[in-house]
Amino acid sequence: MAVTINGTSGLVFNDSSTQATAATGFGFKNRIINGAMVIDQRNAGASVTQTTSAPYTLDRFYCFGSVTSKFTVQQNAGSVTPPAGFINYLGATSSSAYTVGAAEQFNIAQAIEGLNCADLAWGTASAATVTLSFLVRSSLTGTFGGALRNSATDYSYPFSYTISVANTWEQKTITITGPTSGTWLTTNGIGVYVNFSMGAGATRSGTAGSWSANNYTSATGATSVVGTNGATFYITGVQLEKGSTATSFDYRPYGTELQLCQRYYESTAFPDAGFGIGATRIGVCLTTTAFSTGFNFLVPKRTNSPTVTLYSRNGNSGKVSLISTGADVSGTSTVSNLGGTGFWGVALGASQTAGAGIETGWTASAEL
Amino acid sequence: MYKLFKCTLTGWEAVIRLSDGACIPKSEDNTDYQAYLAWLEQGNEPLPADEEQT
Repeated sequence: MAVTINGTSGLVFNDSSTQATAATGFGFKNRIINGAMVIDQRNAGASVTQTTSAPYTLDRFYCFGSVTSKFTVQQNAGSVTPPAGFINYLGATSSSAYTVGAAEQFNIAQAIEGLNCADLAWGTASAATVTLSFLVRSSLTGTFGGALRNSATDYSYPFSYTISVANTWEQKTITITGPTSGTWLTTNGIGVYVNFSMGAGATRSGTAGSWSANNYTSATGATSVVGTNGATFYITGVQLEKGSTATSFDYRPYGTELQLCQRYYESTAFPDAGFGIGATRIGVCLTTTAFSTGFNFLVPKRTNSPTVTLYSRNGNSGKVSLISTGADVSGTSTVSNLGGTGFWGVALGASQTAGAGIETGWTASAEL
Repeated sequence: MYKLFKCTLTGWEAVIRLSDGACIPKSEDNTDYQAYLAWLEQGNEPLPADEEQT
């Protein structure tokens, strides 16, 4: 049997395997990190309440709302069966029946770093078309919305999709012509926000399917998830790829996905379940008030100025432990001389004997 | 509430968020530092750095 091309199956190879759609490139095809929702360094499956400070939920995905505590986010919330091919999903649950104000917005979103989408050439005449695909399930049905936005949130593309059947996983695909206008960073800043709306007011909602110089976070007429107490919105398999066709989900190795996440946030307690032995590092006091040992981050950070929080073996933030007793050193201990690849000093919260062994773990955040 | 930090050995400076002891470098690339600047704009003042820290 020879290789054939036809309008039904696409390419049919001589072993009868087929390729129905054109390949869109290999290597980091999916610009979304953790699109399969497998990494949850911060919360290890615990629930996060949405606030106005945009707390991170599963790695790389944050939840934001103009008013605090209108929904929660949790890995595998509700413990439903994930769609075929996936073992995890991001689950959002409405905490009340809230009427969204005209200028308000409630979102689950990921900010893609400019360096990871510079090839899209957005804001130029060569702007590339992209396709957003995902699997979604909700207790509600109807038209739902979201948007792509630039870093300044002054240029956006509202999109809409329909959920036809309640509590059933559905595959959605949205093809978006690249914007030839607007300012789009190609640096280590925010390249593009990918936004799934949980609710948006009239001035945050725009006509689906076109770019405009507005800060739209959803499509006009979209369902408000936060408007129904207990409503659920589950999503996984999120992929944003170059081209006009949604291809199969880019299922990356777990270790690769974790390292991609760790460019933005790492915890020495992950995948260990806490800051016990193995999740901490040790140093020796050079003076009574500090110990100086070079600590490398697990992965170099997005910037040379991450926020670093120390943790004692007992899991207390702003603390380090004495190796000899395991007890926390009193006061607040903090790192010093910090850069994008690590740090080399810790100022102790209280004086210790020079030469004392000190133990500490950390989290480091360089989120967008 | 925040407290200033300065390494007397190298002169390296940061801001300590006292709620969790997080060390926040003075860089506008850092979203936590942006939050600190917003806190300052509300008229707040950080605690001074300790005299001796290394």
